[in-house]
Amino acid sequence: MKYVDEFRDGELAQRLAHEIEAVVEPGREVKIMEVCGGHTHAIYKHGVEHLVPREVDFVHGPGCPVCVIPMGRVDDAIALAERSGVTFTTFGDMMRVPGGRGSLLEAKARGADVRMVYSPLDALELARRNPEREVVFFAIGFETTAPATALTLLRARAEGVRNFSAFCNHVTIGPPLRTILDSPGLKLDAFIAPGHVSTVIGTRPYEFIVDEYGKPVVVTAFEPLDILQAVVMLLRQLREERCEVENQYTRVVRRDGNPRALAALEETMELRETFEWRGLGWIDHSALKLRPELADWDAEERFELPGDRVEDPKACQCGEVLIGAIKPWECRVFGTACTPERPIGTCMVSSEGACAAFYNYGRLARPHDTVPA
Amino acid sequence: MSLDRGHCITCSDEAVPATVVEVEGANATVEADGRRERVGIELVEPVEPGDVLLCHAGIALEKLP
Repeated sequence: MKYVDEFRDGELAQRLAHEIEAVVEPGREVKIMEVCGGHTHAIYKHGVEHLVPREVDFVHGPGCPVCVIPMGRVDDAIALAERSGVTFTTFGDMMRVPGGRGSLLEAKARGADVRMVYSPLDALELARRNPEREVVFFAIGFETTAPATALTLLRARAEGVRNFSAFCNHVTIGPPLRTILDSPGLKLDAFIAPGHVSTVIGTRPYEFIVDEYGKPVVVTAFEPLDILQAVVMLLRQLREERCEVENQYTRVVRRDGNPRALAALEETMELRETFEWRGLGWIDHSALKLRPELADWDAEERFELPGDRVEDPKACQCGEVLIGAIKPWECRVFGTACTPERPIGTCMVSSEGACAAFYNYGRLARPHDTVPA
Repeated sequence: MSLDRGHCITCSDEAVPATVVEVEGANATVEADGRRERVGIELVEPVEPGDVLLCHAGIALEKLP
């Protein structure tokens, strides 16, 4: 398939692996954070970590929206889903995410009308077809997904569909990166920045990482060859003592992003004062809410929500995994009490979560001394 | 139906290249891996059959060269 097959070519991968070996400084460990869950998934699925020398260590970042959603917001979603007359729509991966009161899937089993959708536009269609129901969409995701919610809201308003609303949990990628960079004791050398978020926001929002923290950044696509090429680019920057935001994903990413997507976001959403991130705590201006002009389509305005804060389970170390402080297999419940079938923490729920990705693809290939039996 | 190939669709960074088959107003039918889906095209208009779009959560985010 075009745009896929050519980025999975084994021979080219070997060539890039040799290039990495040539540019890496022997004995100097380089910690590269791949910000996005999509990269984490690709690294484990395609065994990219085995193609790079020992000196290169991938640290998995916070870019999995399912993984960073706090349990209290899941409980709010369940409360909405259990309201009489509400049809609650969600992307599939949110169905199993445990809140303090169980998951949406369990709420569905108890009789709540919870439906899985692939797009907010599907939720809007459901609202059009069922005017007697209140259709609520669980809006979650970074700047890649937020434009889909924005376009859906604009269509709902233009068509006057009044029985549709969004429970907005969209988050932004810049502020959590700053929080991670400010974490005491964190040792990161460089960043692989998310490709598709950057189709929307461009490469400009990462420039503070270079200017203020002196860490190289490469905006990167998601096929294994893309990731290997990004590693070469980052190692070259480090070796040549350059520090820049480079763009590996030039086939779709521009410095200023997609102006129409940004305009749709601007028209429908604004920054929240603060928002809670699982594992990272409260981060100012890190999430989006609907603008007051769209209050009629804002589930938080239209329905009363519990809004309770729920502590993460004590055994769960998702927070430490999310800032790269520990590897998934170093969590005390990884692969024993916490598995993709029965997740305790969110990193095990989503296939892009670092724990689930490692559980599914990486655990059998690790040296025995680093993996619990 | 989704174009998503076994990935978490919630993940903001999963998007799939798909080829436009037909354009109908603000939507297009696109095809990837033999599967078809309708996507909103407001962010990438104008598009025509044969264009390759980067699709995510039911909308096209970008046009591929």
